[in-house]
Amino acid sequence: MKFGIFFELSTPRPFSREREWAVYHNALEQCRLADELGFDHVWAVEHHFLEEYSHCSAPEVFLTAVAAQTQRIRVGHGAVVCVPEMNHPVRVAERAAALDILSNGRLELGTARSSTWTELGGFSVNPDDTKITWDEFVRALPRMWMQEEFEWHGKAFSMPSRNVLPKPLQDPHPPLWVTVTSPGTELDAADRGLGCLGVSAAGYDEQERRTREYHRRIANCDPVGGVVNDQVHTMNFLYCHEDYRVARDVGVPMVTAFNVANSHLYWTREAYPTRAYQALGNAGAAMKPRKAAADDPSVAKGLPEGVGVGDPEHLVRTIKRWESIGVTGINFLLNAMEMVPQEQVLESMRLFAREVMPQFRGAEQSALPVTAPTVLPRFALANGGQGPC
Amino acid sequence: MLTGTADVERLARSAPRLERYLAEPMVLEDVALFQLVLEMRNGAREAVLPPSLHPTVPPTLSLQVWDVADSPWGPFRMAVSRVSCRAGVRARGFTTAAVVSSAPACDGLRGALGYPARTGEIAFVHGYSGVEATVRIGDGCALRCHAIDPEPIGADDAQYTGTLNLAQAPAGLRLLQVEFDVVPDRAERLRARLEAFDAAAWGEPLLDPYFVVAASLARGRVTFAPLRFALRVDELAFTGTESIAGQG
Repeated sequence: MKFGIFFELSTPRPFSREREWAVYHNALEQCRLADELGFDHVWAVEHHFLEEYSHCSAPEVFLTAVAAQTQRIRVGHGAVVCVPEMNHPVRVAERAAALDILSNGRLELGTARSSTWTELGGFSVNPDDTKITWDEFVRALPRMWMQEEFEWHGKAFSMPSRNVLPKPLQDPHPPLWVTVTSPGTELDAADRGLGCLGVSAAGYDEQERRTREYHRRIANCDPVGGVVNDQVHTMNFLYCHEDYRVARDVGVPMVTAFNVANSHLYWTREAYPTRAYQALGNAGAAMKPRKAAADDPSVAKGLPEGVGVGDPEHLVRTIKRWESIGVTGINFLLNAMEMVPQEQVLESMRLFAREVMPQFRGAEQSALPVTAPTVLPRFALANGGQGPC
Repeated sequence: MLTGTADVERLARSAPRLERYLAEPMVLEDVALFQLVLEMRNGAREAVLPPSLHPTVPPTLSLQVWDVADSPWGPFRMAVSRVSCRAGVRARGFTTAAVVSSAPACDGLRGALGYPARTGEIAFVHGYSGVEATVRIGDGCALRCHAIDPEPIGADDAQYTGTLNLAQAPAGLRLLQVEFDVVPDRAERLRARLEAFDAAAWGEPLLDPYFVVAASLARGRVTFAPLRFALRVDELAFTGTESIAGQG
């Protein structure tokens, strides 16, 4: 079981320069501690314009700082938005390779397509096209890293032959992931040999069903890259305290604040009629609430099953349950809207590392550099690299 | 977290009186439902919503024009202005005003569902080439929009969030959660242009729709569900929601 930390860099109102500075620097301190404590991954999202919910619009810059201040923990784009109006694929490949070099081969690259109108509209993106452009990106990026002459003729972009530089340190390239919010995206990941990076907390049953189907499909995948990444990570929350009641009293408001901020985003489906976005919202979209579902405005999304809020014993039980259904990693959101004071966040991490982590690994394992999760042999690229034309 | 700051007393002046809650489904047959979504600027983001609701980022306005061939009040047309919002964590639209083409339907929609409606003229043309809609109140043009280039979309691709209508309900001033189900025979997405919009005529001079997001047209059956929830207007929905199911 791998343990990661996951950043949206949510920032409460009223906004100020100092408050954003504090959010970023608190996060960096958490990363340094995570590196010391034996956490495996730091993930940072890419979001734009999402006031309060996420002020993390330049994750590659944040992750470069993380890489410079840590020794062993892996740094993950969770994830790059794969639409050309936001990120040209060549720039994605270049930035990722540079970060992989600077981090001494510790990069993980998640891919995504964005789900809010706030973001897509801000960059004049046609929501109908994002699945198509994402697909093209994940097929093109490995070729840019593996080939000295890369050319592409597609819908998202076209270019004559160039050598995209630099090449990443990891050979053939960093592990690739897909962020999974909408049901069915895990199958897109499996078919392409990409890791499944859950970013909405699904309940046990839903996650088990998705994981089982993912593993069934990836066994027969047609890999888009030089390696297959067959890992399934989920997103969760973490607040650990010796006293379960204290953990609940601190952790539940944090989870609720995150979910409320998430639900206030302006979803693409709400704005723009399209087949490409079928879900209204993502946080908790597949969560299994303890209370019967009803479209009742008084019902907050609350604390669903499997959430990492509690005392160490509770968290061990919870994580073992996730492990039993095939999840290979859990990435924890440590705070939301800075509701939990920084010292309490750090203490929660220390307690987790002291009491929970050893139930899943030896102490020596937590001190070693984290290896990439790619376990299968590299593949030769089919199709000679001319793109999908 | 942003919340609405509109003056409740001012909002209450245009709230219709509801004698009883709708307790049975109400079916409207052969309906053409046009929806135009536009972004607004941040200036009025909180000011146009009551304190129980949260704005979206960016703030948006959805304008709906209904062409109903058959209803309990006979055929009618209705145009509605809704500010997109959140009640608790639920996606909703707060109605600022409605215009209805017939007096019986206007009275019915006010009394049964709390639409803040008044009568007016609604011209609505929809064909293979697109949609034209014009709403006039007295001598003034409240709305004119034009949509072209219809593209077929799936029956479920257009999203209609629940509507919140402020009304003097049996329990007092409440936001009524009005939900309807659309079963379209066909649906289209269109490219739209807003040619005229008189914000004051739509109940809120601060409304400033300036950027078209998308437009859709669905044709089919629409069923209003019995009212289930009412929200206190000055209290967040997490605590200010009352169940009214079965109180019709």
